[in-house]
Amino acid sequence: MTSAHVLSVAMLLADARLPSGGHAHSASLEPALLGGMPVAAVPAWLVGRATTASLVEAGTAVVTARVLAMADDSGLAGVVGAWAARTPAPALRDAARLLGRGYLRLARALWPEMPAVRAVVAHAAAHGPLPRAVVLGAVAAATGLPPADTVRLTVYDDAQTAAAALLKLEPLDPVAPARWVLDACAAAEPHVPRVAACITPEEIPASGSPQTEGWAQAHALLSQRLFRA
Amino acid sequence: MPESLVSASATAPTTVPGAPSEPATDARPGSSAGPLATSSADAARPTSRALRLGVAGPVGVGKSSLIATICRALGAELRLGVITNDIYTDEDARFLRSAGVLEPERIRAVETGACPHTAIRDDVTANLLAAEDLERDFAPLDLVIIESGGDNLTATFSPALVDAQIFVLDVAGGGDVARKGGPGIGRADLLVVNKTDLAPYVGVDVARMVADASAARENRAVVALSRTDDASVAELRSWVLDVLGSFRSGAHVAQDPGPMAPHFHADEDGGYVHSHDEPGAHDHDHAH
Ligand SMILES: Nc1nc2c(ncn2[C@@H]2O[C@H](COP(=O)(O)OP(=O)(O)OP(=O)(O)O)[C@@H](O)[C@H]2O)c(=O)[nH]1
Ligand SMILES: [Mg+2]
Repeated sequence: MTSAHVLSVAMLLADARLPSGGHAHSASLEPALLGGMPVAAVPAWLVGRATTASLVEAGTAVVTARVLAMADDSGLAGVVGAWAARTPAPALRDAARLLGRGYLRLARALWPEMPAVRAVVAHAAAHGPLPRAVVLGAVAAATGLPPADTVRLTVYDDAQTAAAALLKLEPLDPVAPARWVLDACAAAEPHVPRVAACITPEEIPASGSPQTEGWAQAHALLSQRLFRA
Repeated sequence: MPESLVSASATAPTTVPGAPSEPATDARPGSSAGPLATSSADAARPTSRALRLGVAGPVGVGKSSLIATICRALGAELRLGVITNDIYTDEDARFLRSAGVLEPERIRAVETGACPHTAIRDDVTANLLAAEDLERDFAPLDLVIIESGGDNLTATFSPALVDAQIFVLDVAGGGDVARKGGPGIGRADLLVVNKTDLAPYVGVDVARMVADASAARENRAVVALSRTDDASVAELRSWVLDVLGSFRSGAHVAQDPGPMAPHFHADEDGGYVHSHDEPGAHDHDHAH
């Protein structure tokens, strides 16, 4: 049997209906709105994420895929450490690991025999849950998703997750956020080659956002919320 | 930066504790297989995992109260855990914690992104992970009860998440609701007609409502419940123990009530009602 085209794999992974737990997450949007960010700022905020926080995730996935392609499982710890250092808020790391568990569950069911997937399964069993970006990197390695498309997928998924969450949080014409998602992806495009070229953990962009980290911490303590993070 | 220096210091009551040291129970092949996998491949093999019991039904019918009743009735003999799926708040979890029927740590709220039905059917990941975490943190557990966020009559649990499920109605919703059917009313493992103590005040004939329900269910179990009626609580209690017994012996097979109510197809012969029980029921081509 021939395997699915890598574009089909990318579309599957980008589909919000993918059963991996993503629907309970808002990609930091609910924390931002509850933290006082005005709704009018969402389009600019999406562009901001696409060119900063999303690239930390994207770089992590790209470097993971390269490390696993070299069959160098020992390199994973370095990638996870680099990601964690760039994601200082425990609430965000917890949320990313929860998503990683959901993603790994799916990856294990879809590509059980692929060495990259087996490597992350073994690593998680020995060292604890891996963040979503690392699991995505393993899926990219397993399916041959090119680095540039891994970056685009990460940026799109982040923006679309926030856009979908926005419709649950604010009254809005659903068409408006679709435009903003495209704008965010366009804004990230000039950064794609740079992030896709990352090889070592040190090269992963360190462009997280302290404000987002702070909002995430405050959100994790609320008893009234629709989304996990 | 060593991650332990900034490890979870400000986690919410509902968050999974200490990520770095968290044992990866879900990463062990096989350990995280949902009830579905267990029921198909190893149908007759006794299991040591906790029974996962879903509780669904419309808003306000008394799901949280029923869970509190089960905890009160069985808390002394079973090791219990509870997961709630709140829509806007962790109200259900807080209600249950304040009911004092279970250690507060054994009751966890899971966010559903405003889609409680998705969280019990289309994408059960968040609930499954929460169930695994509860089972790991308080191992061994006998029973994990998952309360769905109050939803409409069509919301039922996927067998990928629960081994058995209770669908709850109440008399105050009207005596004819049971007749209207739907997957939960028709095919949940147990239908509870709740708050029977209110029947005289809302003009509902409980015996009639139970008879209608039994007919709609082809004689699957129905319990007419009131938390103030000890005999009915005893009936609920023994139903739970029976299911747990057959689950442990390996005899219990998780049933899927299906995502859809049985529905009508017009054709030349006048049409027919079909449900989505049978495997392959979706093989035919038609738009729902
Ligand atoms: N009279 C009477 N009232 C009951 C009974 N069980 C529950 N209630 C009341 O019904 C109301 C709703 O009960 P809950 O247990 O919160 O219902 P729920 O289905 O969990 O509600 P949601 O989670 O909001 O969908 C509360 O005021 C309960 O006190 C009962 O047996 N008799
Ligand atoms: Mg409730």
